[in-house]
Amino acid sequence: MTDLERHDYDVIVIGAGGAGLRAAIEAREQGLRTAIICKSLFGKAHTVMAEGGIAASMGNANEKDNWQTHFRDTMRGGKFLNNPRMAELHAKEAPMRVWELETYGALFDRTPDGRISQRNFGGHEYPRLAHVGDRTGLELIRTLQQKIVSLQQEDHRETGDYESRLRVFAELTVTDILKADGAVAGAFGYWRESGRFVLFSAPAVILATGGIGKSFKVTSNSWEYTGDGHALALRAGASLVNMEFIQFHPTGMVWPPSVKGILVTESVRGDGGVLRNSEGKRFMFDYVPDVFRGQYADTEEEADRWYKDPENNKRPPELLPRDEVARAINNEVKEGRSSPHGGVFLDVSTRLPAEEIRRRLPSMHHQFKELADVDITAEPMEVGPTCHYVMGGVEVDADTAATSVPGLYAAGEVAGGMHGSNRLGGNSLSDLLVFGRRAGVGASEYIAALGDSRPAIQDADVDRAAEVALAPFRDASENPYSLHQELQQKMNDLVGIIRREGEVREALDMLDDLDERAKSVGVEGHRQFNPGWHLALDLRNMLAVCRCVALAALERTESRGGHTREDFPGMDPEWRGVNLICTLDGSDAVQLRRQPVPEIRQDLLELFERTELSKYLTAPELARLDAGGSSTQQGSADGSDRS
Amino acid sequence: MTATAEKTDQTGGQDSPKAGVVPSFTVTLKISRFDPETDSEQHWETYEVTAHATDRVLDALHQIKWDQDGSLSFRRSCAHGVCGSDAMRINGKNRLACKTLIKDVNPDKPITVEPIKGLPVEKDLIVDMEPFFDAYREVMPFLITEGNEPTRERIQSQADRDRFDDTTKCILCAACTTSCPVFWNDGQYFGPAAIVNAHRFIFDSRDDGGTQRLEILNDKEGVWRCRTTFNCTDACPRGIEVTKAIQEVKRALLTSRF
Repeated sequence: MTDLERHDYDVIVIGAGGAGLRAAIEAREQGLRTAIICKSLFGKAHTVMAEGGIAASMGNANEKDNWQTHFRDTMRGGKFLNNPRMAELHAKEAPMRVWELETYGALFDRTPDGRISQRNFGGHEYPRLAHVGDRTGLELIRTLQQKIVSLQQEDHRETGDYESRLRVFAELTVTDILKADGAVAGAFGYWRESGRFVLFSAPAVILATGGIGKSFKVTSNSWEYTGDGHALALRAGASLVNMEFIQFHPTGMVWPPSVKGILVTESVRGDGGVLRNSEGKRFMFDYVPDVFRGQYADTEEEADRWYKDPENNKRPPELLPRDEVARAINNEVKEGRSSPHGGVFLDVSTRLPAEEIRRRLPSMHHQFKELADVDITAEPMEVGPTCHYVMGGVEVDADTAATSVPGLYAAGEVAGGMHGSNRLGGNSLSDLLVFGRRAGVGASEYIAALGDSRPAIQDADVDRAAEVALAPFRDASENPYSLHQELQQKMNDLVGIIRREGEVREALDMLDDLDERAKSVGVEGHRQFNPGWHLALDLRNMLAVCRCVALAALERTESRGGHTREDFPGMDPEWRGVNLICTLDGSDAVQLRRQPVPEIRQDLLELFERTELSKYLTAPELARLDAGGSSTQQGSADGSDRS
Repeated sequence: MTATAEKTDQTGGQDSPKAGVVPSFTVTLKISRFDPETDSEQHWETYEVTAHATDRVLDALHQIKWDQDGSLSFRRSCAHGVCGSDAMRINGKNRLACKTLIKDVNPDKPITVEPIKGLPVEKDLIVDMEPFFDAYREVMPFLITEGNEPTRERIQSQADRDRFDDTTKCILCAACTTSCPVFWNDGQYFGPAAIVNAHRFIFDSRDDGGTQRLEILNDKEGVWRCRTTFNCTDACPRGIEVTKAIQEVKRALLTSRF
């Protein structure tokens, strides 16, 4: 191809959210020439929307906190399906990543003695979330962006060129990862502004593209979340793990319609907000599952005492993990006790003085006032579940973030395993920093080992990628916007928060139909900033990812975390040991298989009471544990690298 | 008629007769269009959409793009006023399209939507943001410290942290800079956003680079170009007191105290 812009880098990071930027900083610090590619303008990534904070057991608010407690909370939240090595690394390293962010210049709310303040959040035993008001995600992105500017200025002083080691390619979309002899050789994409094609040669690619929320109708996710990284990984030959686990955040706005899906942060509940149904009943007390009984208050009186005295009282059930709260709300609505617009009431107005609400939750107050003309200091909000986060993702090695394809790495929401079947609030921002950094290190080590023998991109692969990218400019009738809306509606209705076999099968038929129609999507106009064309290409990714979600949702005949089967309502210990893996076969059809979950090391299991483990593990697993865990330990030696 | 009319008392309101009904009306949008392939200059095009009382200008733009003209180009990401992608000139005033309720901009007359002023237009409502980010980068928007890194966090009192809280709310949407008459006339001027981002570090008790930054802003294209018109403060979708921040930087330059 002649009109092709070419670049040569050591590492390409796709995605400029928290994971991508932290990975890029690490790669540059390791001396690698690094490109950051993002679909939006630099600094606008979806991470900016995270409100709650960064979970890290620094122990500033309660010195009893430590990594073991954080690990326990994370495993409980994920219903023991987490990749245990990832949960361990995450819990151990999160404090260092937060302190590091602070030295980069991040603003944090402070304790009276000037240390980083930490707040309570659902599923976390101690106040653990480092935060700045309710704009922590924005501050995290801004700080990493600033760090990158400072590194570029450092490079300028040394080399005379700001972009000699670290360059940002903003508003550029990657459509394919290119390989040679089974290893990563580069990436192919287009400038969104000009539509011109760009070819990157690089032996390592780090995927940090975030999630898949735009496949669903009601979502808190921004437009970039079209599962690009998931689909790029699949097409490059990597595997996806446990795509059935999707977190529906319990409290999205359900009213008014123009802001449907937008999030109401969990801190509203952490700071005293309660959920009530149409009868005025604080219903969450009816929904504490057995595995959590004993950790949550039984009465309103005790729950209310907890806000002032968490040491001597049990937590209010409004702070159960997100999946539990989402299911409870869904059930209240289903049984006819919903608010007027199909949600429930989240009320903080009768719980705190107006001034206090404005001080503690300034962005929330602002958001409701400005986007919806609702004053949360004076009236309750109407909330309901919204598609928020995908726990499933690219299967990676815990320590290095490497996928099964040499040279391909994944970190952040696009990677799977860390959160098991359900993610705790606050564990996402820490995940981005911990595994973003690890991916940067992993890619550096891989490149060092490669030496001079870098895979070379094949011309035929470039031609094929260009052909696929240009395909929507055909004389065809399907409108990409209508196809997208149909996909979102059906995924919401058929593979949403509650799933049934018949409906998931219907979804798979619907996907067959949409796949077929996607072949005749046609767009008008030229390649300059053509949003229809961009969507047509994103659709290909969403369709592949949705199929993985539906296939896995059909296969897993139990309910756990972010996967609820109405026809299999219980959690089954047999299924706890099973990961569902999706790959593409030779003809690009999705194949699903079962694979054992990496075993949990004996020393990690011993962090739990046996009575708690007995709720999750099978009888043979418990017997092995009682026998001293000899075979469990044996399994862990290679087990920790499997997922 | 607004959403407030639909509000119900806190314990229910199942009896509210209007629950679930959102009034709708027809609204006309006059949008500035430019396609670099075919147009030599910007021109107006008019669209009619059915809007609801609670819709924002962004919702109307989406409707046009999805149902009427798939080529209409504008930036947007988070769609609730945090990422700062969709600043545009709506009825002559810089705002975020995702935070502007249609009912608040007088839907009885055509609503004009143009790209923000003072930056080169690339297509339709999309401008080249590079000059804006260049100015941002020039003020060294990152923490500069001397001495050894601490093993944990640096200690900072809540009062010291509150000193620059306002300017850390910036989302780099460019609404302030492109509302500034000085910037319109002189693209070399740093502009309010860059000064806001310098302010955040100048007044950070952890930072040791204040003198350097003040030197940069003392330049002839620096803070002294500000004519205190308060356009920037009016335009800021985050409610940052931009002009006040600029004044504080000026004062710091005069007194060398910050």
